[in-house]
Amino acid sequence: MHAAPVLEMRDISRRFGSTQALDGVSLSLYPGEIHALLGENGAGKSTLIKIMTGVHQPDSGQILLDGRPVRIRSTLEAQRLGIAAIYQEPLMYPDLNVAENIFIAHADRGPWVDWGRLYRDAEEILAQLDVRLDVRQPARGLSVAAQQTVEIAKALSLQVRVLIMDEPTAALSAHEVDQLFAIVQRLRDQGVAVLFISHRLEEVFRLADRITVFRDGRLISSAPGNETTPEQAIRDMAGRSIEQLFPRRDTVRDRVLVQVRNLGRTGIFSGISFDVHEGEVLGFAGLVGARRTDVGLALFGIAPADRGTITIDGHPVRITNPTQAMRHGIAYVSEDRRGLGLSLPMSIAANITLPALHRYLSPIGLIRRTAEIAAAEEYRRHLSIRASSVDVEVSRLSGGNQQKVMLSKWLNTRPRLLILDEPTRGIDVGAKAEVHQMIDDLAAEGIAIILISSDLPEVLAMSDRVLVMREGRQMGIFSRQEATQERVLAAAMGQSALVTG
Amino acid sequence: MATWRQRIRPEQIRELSLVVLIVAALLIFAWQIENFLSARTFNRIAGSVAIIGMVAIGQTLVVLTRNIDLSVGSIVGFTAYFVGAQLAANNDMWPLAAVALAAAVGGAMGLVNGLIVAYGRAPAIITTLGTLAIYRMLLINYSNARTVTVDSLPPWVVDLSRQNLLMIGDFAVRPLIVATLVAVVVFQLVLGYTVFGRRLYAIGSNPEAARFAGLPAQRIVLTAFTLCGMLAGLAGFLFLARFGNITAVAGQGIELESVAAVVVGGVNTFGGSGTALGALLGAFLIDLLGQGLLRWLGISEFWRDALLGLLILLAVASDAVLLGWLRRLWAERAEVAHAR
Repeated sequence: MHAAPVLEMRDISRRFGSTQALDGVSLSLYPGEIHALLGENGAGKSTLIKIMTGVHQPDSGQILLDGRPVRIRSTLEAQRLGIAAIYQEPLMYPDLNVAENIFIAHADRGPWVDWGRLYRDAEEILAQLDVRLDVRQPARGLSVAAQQTVEIAKALSLQVRVLIMDEPTAALSAHEVDQLFAIVQRLRDQGVAVLFISHRLEEVFRLADRITVFRDGRLISSAPGNETTPEQAIRDMAGRSIEQLFPRRDTVRDRVLVQVRNLGRTGIFSGISFDVHEGEVLGFAGLVGARRTDVGLALFGIAPADRGTITIDGHPVRITNPTQAMRHGIAYVSEDRRGLGLSLPMSIAANITLPALHRYLSPIGLIRRTAEIAAAEEYRRHLSIRASSVDVEVSRLSGGNQQKVMLSKWLNTRPRLLILDEPTRGIDVGAKAEVHQMIDDLAAEGIAIILISSDLPEVLAMSDRVLVMREGRQMGIFSRQEATQERVLAAAMGQSALVTG
Repeated sequence: MATWRQRIRPEQIRELSLVVLIVAALLIFAWQIENFLSARTFNRIAGSVAIIGMVAIGQTLVVLTRNIDLSVGSIVGFTAYFVGAQLAANNDMWPLAAVALAAAVGGAMGLVNGLIVAYGRAPAIITTLGTLAIYRMLLINYSNARTVTVDSLPPWVVDLSRQNLLMIGDFAVRPLIVATLVAVVVFQLVLGYTVFGRRLYAIGSNPEAARFAGLPAQRIVLTAFTLCGMLAGLAGFLFLARFGNITAVAGQGIELESVAAVVVGGVNTFGGSGTALGALLGAFLIDLLGQGLLRWLGISEFWRDALLGLLILLAVASDAVLLGWLRRLWAERAEVAHAR
């Protein structure tokens, strides 16, 4: 029924540092077809989208539009070719009205704004989508669903031929999802090729004409929607190769350190209940948007929970700020080293001692530099931070070494519960192995560890037990033996039927 | 070779280069201007650096936290007049009480700034622009167009700017500059060796990381503003001692001079790096250039502000370009050294 693909990606490869993000991927998008793309975190979906929209350039491979090879060097060029993308969080100009937002990218409407025509044209496009929206209303205050509609209208106004939708339903209510799907189906009927990315399997199977699964930067399977099943899709997504499975030593779990019951934060997550034992690594698995980090932030008091209880050593505690959390022996190593973790212009030593400076004071309240440097020196040797001295500014270190400074900083608070949020993201294989070794050592010393990681093989290899979350809810806790990639993925995607099976 | 490079950080290069610039300027002026290297020049510069330097130390504390205090000129003026009027009315006032009064009045004004910025979450530049006008208005109202005159003050106040504590050849070391030097030493220690100092740098260099480390950011910013106000208050007292005659326009323009001193002195306007000593050196260089150029080129006093502006721009530009370049060079050397 389809004559020719509108956009064809042929044998696309792209490498970032030591990671092969895409490895010889070929994908064709046909007019009037909704094509769903599935894959775990880091499977290569985002990289493909970014190549399609001109954010990244492929290392090798060909892009064909209407059968002719093209190069997409910028998002502007992608737009001109009729390729547009909308994301989970739409990018709006909040102080401009709906009509202005729709036409903001147009350079062909002359130097003067003809307001009458602007509103008429905007209304016409919205009518095409069969949505009612006041075009004079400022974008500020619009619901996410309405903002996405504006984004789609914007794409339509640019004669979109390929519409990429990256997790568009993650922030929508069920009713809004229905409305969005109606719009998407209308676009398909008008001959637009839609590439749809979602972690919600039921949506994918409801909507998609074709379902393609990526894993480790490769295309694993691609089949018409009515010829495959959710079970098959999950099998295809799982089975990631595990480069170096770290051999965890056996741990003794007999003393519960932290007990969390029914923890929740309104609108973010709810019903989280687990125990962490001394010397145990509890993994938090889930896909993007599962709200695992938010649970970590709640335990550390940055964005406190407003429901549920936290018990430490059998005593109920309230944690509403990081100082309290630290007093209870909780430390949180954030995934965002530059933004949240380190003071880059300051020295390694000053960074490491910052949360626990009071331990390095002389009787008259001055910082004892020698004691401070000795402590930092010890971490430098122990974690083999590669720097000529601890006086070196942190900004001069590599990502892996910065990560070790972060860890040192929080280990220096002598935590009993260490929350590690994506501790190996963006660091090279060697540093990764060192971090894994360290997690094992720390657990052996009796520290309880919560390991939040989007790297599924890593979570499974490092954890004694794995808690799986999906969209702010706890889907289950699996023991080391139970936690297979299929089971964890199925739970993370809300296919609970598969969990027991 | 490698050792000095490891010891000296790019920021210290900034201070060293300031010293080099100061020496170079001194040499050029001494060669070009007759009688430049005289006790008179030195004493004049010392008197004015004492005041600007004191304010610049406070400004440093505030700028380190990524804020700015534009109201310092008004605080200097208000405290100078207020304390002057009290002393004029009560000639027997205990000297230390007068100094404490100046610090307290300035501190209260700084506290107001700090409360608005730290707890009201208003941008510092707008807040202190507002209080600049308000504090000046308070002074105008309070002074009611009268003037504090030298004759009305107790003699010890005016003597502070004439007394020679120590003579080094013809150069007189007077109480005003000694007070400022003491303040520099104290705050150099505070910044380098106290928890408060370390936290100032932490908050300025990465506010989010500071929050994650559990630092009470609001309280620290409040303290920085309050200390800045206190130091401006003390500078107000020095102003009174130096000039004796105080009108409602006293201290106008000091905000510009203090910001210039801080920026030229190598304090990063994006927070997180800089020292009190650097700010003092910055104040000294600016005043030296001002005095020297005025006499050398015979330009008028009105050029002073333009000179200040030019120096600020030069300093900021060299901050961005030069320091970035230095850092890259350092990083490369460090990598090379590490590879070996």
